[in-house]
Order: sequence, then structure tokens, then C-alpha cells
Amino acid sequence: MITAFELGLIYAIMALGVYLTFRILNFPDLTVDGSFTSGAATAAILITNEVDPFLATAVAFVVGSLAGLITGLLHTKGNINGLLAGILTMIGLYSINLRIMDGANVPLLGQDTVISMMRGFTGVGWSSVAVLAVVALLFKLVMDWYLQTDNGLALRATGDNEQMISSFAVSTDRQKIIGLMLSNGLVGIAGAVVAQHQGFADIGMGIGLILVGLASVIVGQAIFGSRTVIQATLAVILGAVVYRLAIQFALNIGLNPNDMKLMSAVLVVAALLLPQWKGFSRLSLRRRSRSPLAAAAEPATTSDAPLSTTSAEKGV
Amino acid sequence: MLKVDSVSKTFFPHTVNERRALVDVDLELQEGDFVTVIGSNGAGKSTLLNTVAGRIHQDEGVVSLDGVDVSRLKEHQRAAKVGRVFQDPMAGTAPNLSIEENLALADRRGRPRGLSRGVTRAKRERFAEALKQLELGLEDRLKTKVGLLSGGQRQALSLLMATYSDPRVLLLDEHTAALDPQRAELVTRLTRSVVQDKGLTTLMVTHNMVQALEVGNRLIMMHEGRIILDVGAEKKAQMTSQDLLAEFGKLKGAVVDDKTLLQ
Repeated sequence: MITAFELGLIYAIMALGVYLTFRILNFPDLTVDGSFTSGAATAAILITNEVDPFLATAVAFVVGSLAGLITGLLHTKGNINGLLAGILTMIGLYSINLRIMDGANVPLLGQDTVISMMRGFTGVGWSSVAVLAVVALLFKLVMDWYLQTDNGLALRATGDNEQMISSFAVSTDRQKIIGLMLSNGLVGIAGAVVAQHQGFADIGMGIGLILVGLASVIVGQAIFGSRTVIQATLAVILGAVVYRLAIQFALNIGLNPNDMKLMSAVLVVAALLLPQWKGFSRLSLRRRSRSPLAAAAEPATTSDAPLSTTSAEKGV
Repeated sequence: MLKVDSVSKTFFPHTVNERRALVDVDLELQEGDFVTVIGSNGAGKSTLLNTVAGRIHQDEGVVSLDGVDVSRLKEHQRAAKVGRVFQDPMAGTAPNLSIEENLALADRRGRPRGLSRGVTRAKRERFAEALKQLELGLEDRLKTKVGLLSGGQRQALSLLMATYSDPRVLLLDEHTAALDPQRAELVTRLTRSVVQDKGLTTLMVTHNMVQALEVGNRLIMMHEGRIILDVGAEKKAQMTSQDLLAEFGKLKGAVVDDKTLLQ
């Protein structure tokens, strides 16, 4: 249970990255399968070479964002379809990751890692969960802040209406590249921390990761809403935790770890299909109308808001 | 200040679908000129606007702005000096961003977009002040997502945004055509007043002959990629839509559609 919470909060950093591309830029970026492992591999190799684990994790951000840069250049300057650009980078990274690790995995036994350092203060228990929750919230706050800056607004508009934002003198190519770099940088950090948490980096650890990210974003926003950026990023973090708990639950009832990929796929499909079911929208409508706080928060739009939010949910 | 110099553009060259959208077009706008462009479908009006905006790159000729050749600049580079309002009311605003965030984007036209806060209290007051001119009550709904507004409201907002940071040239591409008559009237009135207040150099494409005659200080008529009529302020003031129809009538093969006749 504790482990599920810990992992959920670490993967939440990755989910924030996926949110940035998938939701904000409207770009399904498959690079993450590769950049996650790249982050893990980079950090693991640096740590075994006695580099400070915090510095190693920061380098994982840089390596991840370089992967995002490549996908971004392929897509914008090379006019390659976004999905294909992501797949190409992901496949290429597989070989690069093997080169980085000089093998299929790197153990971190007995090394000082950011997780072992945290354990030194907190031990294993709810206090370690609290520390990781604070870290995840810090990332969320930084993202909330960024998305309210001039550059962040331009990024959001790029995903929302490209024609409009280029008529206001913004290079959509540049914004997409920035978004992909930030996103994959976050994914790289998550990979680095996951490797330190599990005690090794492995060439296969990123496989199917995009589904985990999408599941977190979609499940989180279906349950916790996405009306504002602040709400949406919180929903993404909670979604990542819910996803981990669901996995934990499935393991507890006797599924084996090899079933997890199927489980992820089924979970995403369920999160996509459920909101289309009429009974579900009735449920969420009732829930919304019962919340006077939410209604008071946006007086000008309450009359038409429930309708539009449900249709937005249907559109996921 | 805006100069289009022997510009030609052919779509699908050397195929059966070849279409000469612009044929050796020359056009020069002086500072503060408000030019209306009319012509039948396929006359090249939109292509002309898109060529100035940089969305379409011409095959031959030069587009220059303030004496600087901008022919090779991309759309977003030219947009630092060129404001646009599109025909589709959904096209000029970002639906999932709030009204104030949309205005903040418009406010930064032509300036670097860094990591300072997009919407500050000072800016918010400035935006509310500007929105009051629209008389749509939007100043009280700054945090409303633009996607919740009606087509007319969004088009009025698009116009405000396009002109907010005083572009050197304003391009209007049939921006009232998709609105009901009442809203079209409102947006036309707003267009007039903002162009007058800011002294904007404007190029406006329209299908509506009455509108083409009522607004602006110069009118050009296009046909098959050429400018066939160029009327200055004095002569334009005396013209009626009947005169324009007569001009259309002189053209071989020009089709005046029902919608145009009814206006």
C-alpha cells in the first residue's frame, strides 16, 4: 500500500509531462517510452560513478528534454506526423539506452540515491509518502506557474488554436518544441527516481509507459475534473496515484505482474468509454449541481458550465 | 506603407486544375488607408489577403511593409506587424483560454514571451477598460472561457484582440459574413470605430456591396486574379451598389450570386 502510494507520486511527475503534451499541446507523444528509460539509465550510470544523486537526476531531465527536442524537430521542421515522430525517437532511444547503460540493466545496490537519502530521514511509511507528495506538489505548482506566464499562455494557445496564435506572432513550431522538451524532461526525472526507488535501471522499464501516463491523465481528469489548469494538474497527480492503487488492487486479487499491461489498457479504455455512457454524465451532473462551492466560484458561467464540461468529458 | 508589387500566384501549376489566383497584382496602401475589396467567388480576394499575411507565399513579386521586403518572412514573423480577423468566428480566439488570457496573448504581439506573469492586476484593468468599448458586458466575465461565448461575441473579441496592440496593417477576411445581420452590424460598427480611433491601415475583404461602399476610403474590385477597379474616396462616396453591379455586368463570365443581388 505504502509502495503503491510512493510509486504513484513518483509516476505523477511523468504524468504531468504527459499532460503537457497530450492535453495542453494536443500531441500524443510516444517519445516517453524511450525518454523514461533514458532518464533512468543516465541517472543510474552517473550514480554508480559516484555522481551526486540529485545532480544525476537533474541530468536525467536534460537527457529527457533532448529526446523531446529530437521528436519536436522531426515533427515541426521535418513535417513528420507527430505519432510517427515520437515512435521514431522512441525506437532510436532503445539502442541509445543500451549504449548508456552498456548492457540491459544497471543495479544500484548499496549506492546512495535520492530515495535512500530520503529513507534516512523518514524510513518507510507514511512520512516517506508525505515527502514524495510534497515533491509532486512542487512540480505541480511550478507547472501551474509556468502555464500562467506569457510563454505558458502561448503554449496553451498553440494546442488550442494554432491559426489564432500564429496570427499573434507566435512560432507554433517553437512552442511545440518547448512543450515536448519540458514534457520529456519531466519524464526523464520520473525515470531517474523510479530507478532509484526500485534499485536498478532496466532497458524494458519504459515499455508501455505512455499508457500509464494517459491512464493517469484520463482517469484523473474524469474523476477530479479539469476546468482550470490548477484543478487539471492536481487531477493528473491524483490520477497517477489512483492508477497505482488500481494496479495494487489487481495484484492483490491474484493477477500476476505480467498481466499489468493488459490491465493498463483496459483501464484506459474504461476511462474513455465510461464518460460516454449516459448514466455517468447524469451522475457527474448531479455531483456538480450539489457543489455550491464550485457554483459560487464561477458565477458568470454556472448556467452553461455543466453542459459544456460534460461535453468536454465526452470528447476525451 | 503596404506595397504589393507585381505579385502572381498559381495554384496546382501544370495540371488540369491549374488556377491563376493572382495575376501580376499591384497595390499600394498609404498610412491610414481603409480599403475594401470585393469580387465574385474565386476572384483572388482571399489569396491577396493571405499573401499579405504570409500564409500563402507568392510565386512572383514582392510584398513590402514600411519599405521592408517581407516576402520571405513566415506568417508568424509578419504577424508582429499584421493583425488579422478571420471569417470563422471560432478562428481568431483560443476557446479553452479565458477572455483575459486571450487578451494577454494579443497584448504581447511582436514582443518576446518570457516567464513573467501573463495576466496581472494592472493588465486586467486595462483589458476590462478595452472590453467596455464592445458594450457586450464581457468586462465582467474576464475569467470566462472564450469557448462559452456566442459567435458574435467571439468575433467582436477577435476584432478587439487583432487591433489591441496597434498592428501596422489590419487584414479583415469577410469577418462579418458568418454572423446574423444584427451581429454583423455590431461588428461592422466596431470595425469602423477602432480603425478610425487608431488610424489603422486596413484591407477588408467583403461580399457585401453595401458594406464595401459604406466603410473605408477606397474600394477595389477583383476578378480572375486581377484588380479591375480602384475607386478613391470621392468617387466611392457617390457610388451605389447599382453602379457596382453594373461594373460586374461588364465582366464576361462573372457570376453575381443571389446573395449579392439581394443585398
